Amino acid sequence: MAATTEGTEDHTAAPASRRRPARRRGTGRIAAAVSVFGELLITAGLVLGLFVVYSLWWTNVIADRAADKQADKVRDIWAHQDEDSGRPAVYDAKNGIGFLHVPAMSSSEILVEKGTTSKILNDGVAGYYTDPVKATLPTADKKGNFSLAAHRDGHGAKFHNIHKLEKGDPIVFETKDKWYVYKVYAVLPETSKYNVKVLSGVPKESGKTKAGHYITLTTCTPVYTSRYRYVVWGELERVEKVDEERTPPVELRG
Amino acid sequence: MYGWIWRHLPGNAWVKALLSLLLVMAVVYVLFNYVFPWAEPLLPFNDVTVDNQ
Repeated sequence: MAATTEGTEDHTAAPASRRRPARRRGTGRIAAAVSVFGELLITAGLVLGLFVVYSLWWTNVIADRAADKQADKVRDIWAHQDEDSGRPAVYDAKNGIGFLHVPAMSSSEILVEKGTTSKILNDGVAGYYTDPVKATLPTADKKGNFSLAAHRDGHGAKFHNIHKLEKGDPIVFETKDKWYVYKVYAVLPETSKYNVKVLSGVPKESGKTKAGHYITLTTCTPVYTSRYRYVVWGELERVEKVDEERTPPVELRG
Repeated sequence: MYGWIWRHLPGNAWVKALLSLLLVMAVVYVLFNYVFPWAEPLLPFNDVTVDNQ
């Protein structure tokens, strides 16, 4: 038995090694082309995989770092303004105008800056609209719509959990001197990205017909794509003055 | 392609492995810092605003 198996092994091994160089000469070019093509496909797959890692992880790292830095700067400016005389707070658009606290959506504060270009939003902040419909800032003390946008995924993903917001949930906007407490009253889970009416001073789609102090959060939906927009509306319930300890309003405690 | 690169790297297997690792890291660096930030706005994954365009 042993002898015969050895014999057959020898028999098959010898011609195979003799045949190999011949085959390489004949189909060498095609084989090389196919293997390069295959390697390119593998490379493309790896690059796409890396792009997912980049979008969902790395942009968050970068954005959170940028947002933390800018938030520290705003807090620092606020603290120093208190020291210098009784000068009123200056809202420098470049630095951010305040912080958004939405306990139902995220446990951390979201810095709010001017503008909704990707350059601004990619720093892991929420931006208020300047175009196509200009937002009315709550600090302006007039009726209007405080419209904001932020990323759903990547770049800090500040509005990732926007779908967890329900009617009655608080949205608190913090400035240097005041807490603006809004309550969610309407949600539009899916709308066209061209629907700029949601930003109007009186957002009719939310059911309001009279001017008031509104807040509008917009982001993309469904998650990981931006086919539609998700919109949440809130209305100002009350304004609290910030005390010396910056005690947060009841909605943010607990 | 990868075989060709491997054959053209200098040194023994360990040196080649180290050089390959450095090459991979350089490629990932370039992708994360230049290629992906450039490609991202061109892809429809992360537009969050409503607008007229």
